[in-house]
Amino acid sequence: MSPLRPKAFPLGWLARSEAGLGLAVVAVVLLTLLFDQQRTYYYLPELSALDVLRHTSMLGIFALGAAIVIISGGIDLSAGSVIAFSGTICATLMVFLAPEAMQKAEPLGAGVIILAVGGTLVVGFLIGSLHAWLITVIGLPPFIATLATLVGLRSLARAVIENVTLHAFGARTTQIQIFDQQFRALTTSVWLRAALFLMLAVAAWVLLSRTVVGRHLYALGGNEEATRLSGIRTDRLKWLAYALSAMLSSIAGIFYIGDQSVADPQTLARGYELNAIAAAVVGGCSLRGGIGTIPGTVLGCLFLRVVIDGIAKIIKTGADVYE
Amino acid sequence: MRILCWPACLLLAALALTGGCSSQRTETSSLPAAKRIILLTNGNSPFWDTARAGLDAADDDLQLERDGFEAVLEVNDGTPQGQIDKLKQFASQRDIVAVGVSVIDAANVAVADEMKKLQDKGVHVVTIDSDVDRDKLRDARFAFIGTDNLAGGIELGTAARHLRPEGGQYVTFVGRTGAQNAIERVSGFKQGAGDKFEALDNMADDLDRTRARDNVRNAISNHRGLNVLVGIWSYNAPAIVDVVRQLNRRSDFTIVAFDAEPVAIKDMEAGFIDAMVVQNPFEMGYQGVRLMKALAQDDKATIAEMLPNSEGDGGDIYDTGLKVVVPDEDSPLQADLFGEKTEFLQLGDFKNWLAKYGLQGS
Repeated sequence: MSPLRPKAFPLGWLARSEAGLGLAVVAVVLLTLLFDQQRTYYYLPELSALDVLRHTSMLGIFALGAAIVIISGGIDLSAGSVIAFSGTICATLMVFLAPEAMQKAEPLGAGVIILAVGGTLVVGFLIGSLHAWLITVIGLPPFIATLATLVGLRSLARAVIENVTLHAFGARTTQIQIFDQQFRALTTSVWLRAALFLMLAVAAWVLLSRTVVGRHLYALGGNEEATRLSGIRTDRLKWLAYALSAMLSSIAGIFYIGDQSVADPQTLARGYELNAIAAAVVGGCSLRGGIGTIPGTVLGCLFLRVVIDGIAKIIKTGADVYE
Repeated sequence: MRILCWPACLLLAALALTGGCSSQRTETSSLPAAKRIILLTNGNSPFWDTARAGLDAADDDLQLERDGFEAVLEVNDGTPQGQIDKLKQFASQRDIVAVGVSVIDAANVAVADEMKKLQDKGVHVVTIDSDVDRDKLRDARFAFIGTDNLAGGIELGTAARHLRPEGGQYVTFVGRTGAQNAIERVSGFKQGAGDKFEALDNMADDLDRTRARDNVRNAISNHRGLNVLVGIWSYNAPAIVDVVRQLNRRSDFTIVAFDAEPVAIKDMEAGFIDAMVVQNPFEMGYQGVRLMKALAQDDKATIAEMLPNSEGDGGDIYDTGLKVVVPDEDSPLQADLFGEKTEFLQLGDFKNWLAKYGLQGS
């Protein structure tokens, strides 16, 4: 199984290992230290690290899904919309389960939060299944199938919110405010999201590198026809890949609505699908499938984040222009 | 592949059900041949939910249905392209008689061109909440209904000046720096705050709330002397408070902001916002529909009542008023510091005002 690592990268030995990407991360950090006049990384290392960790974890959670799909030879363009839709479903479930508490900004209770989160994950699984169904049963190319949900889910989320708030609160709104401090404390915690990202990354790494199913996913991405003729049920593998991708995006959606204290499907996670694909590709995943690693994807996320953070630190005034 | 069918079918059924719900609503709300009066937003925020409440109230009070009209709120996606596309779409529909636009970029000629094309087709166009560039593109609309944003900025600057008499360094946070309301508010803040205050940056987030929080983190990290954080658009206040709370640095900053999102009201209650200058989106929605209906019916009396000096300088502006809201009586800010037209309220009184209209924010 040598094709697990990229070969066509132009930087020689660096390309054959995640060490190259790790060195690139270190180089960007050093350049930031050099050109940042306030030496923020030196004087405020903990704060800077937390900032990078906060964003890397969030991007990483749904980039893992993008990486699994890309390795299996597919593409998932729907991550941003799935995040927005899942966040909407989570808030909607909270409204269904505790309409008065949501309207009066009162605590929801652990039970409501657990049910809302659980329901959101189920919806994520269903969206992934829909993708797999469109691809394997209807025969749509992955690009088209996930493009359809990229376009449709955000609008559907708007419709869901308007209908639900009309029935629950008596007035239509285009977003649902999240006041619950318990939920917000959980979802804004850098350590929780970082720990979750780490666990998910380890689980994905084990799945892809240490299990038969993982090897089959690489084989599927490398040559689908040969894999199918070998007796492997490729449809089920695709189902697994797209379901995992959508569920990981759903987890990100739950964190985002807590972080922003609002479920606003129109603006939430717009364009994030490209960030996820970029992180996976920078991390060594080949868009042709069959090549890539989870550690590479994690480093890809870290690299993108330190570049963005470095620019903000160096530019200072007007940094928002370059994000 | 049967195993794949059940979850996919389940989801499709759910989607169909939701679609059915929404189409049912649309059918009942667009009964025969009603002429539409549309309010097109610049983006999405609770601010527009309050405007929608005003729009619905006008729908009832002014008996739109009886007169063959229907008032509708259309939410833009926060981009100039989205607004241009919507205006083009309106131009292709014959049942639209008037459009109120919250212009996303004051100087955007493409948006103004689409507004002019609508006017050429006989559709009445006004601006609501955010106007076009009045020097260059005034003829793209009949009138502006909303806040005097420059005055609002001055009031917010005045609040900052009295909260921090020794002066300070500030950063303004906004969705789009090119929006007319943003330009005027930032400019007004500078005037109101005075010479002791230095502007360090004006940061845009393109309506991405995650980026809004990033901007606050970057500003705090990049500018050591920063001590005043200014929220220009409604969701900027919660973004500022979230970051300051996470960093546990409340005592280092004076926080003032425009608008009162429901979360921002909670934040002020918790002591994280020193002053808010609040617009009246309810009135914007209500008076916007009132003026557009009057234009559609050529009701000169109502137009003259709303814009008595429409030929004079600034006579094409209907001011919906401002409120300055402070946490409680212990605030160093007092009513006499602000303009005569500005209503000064403590948070408790402001919440009572919201409750009177069944609103969560403004």
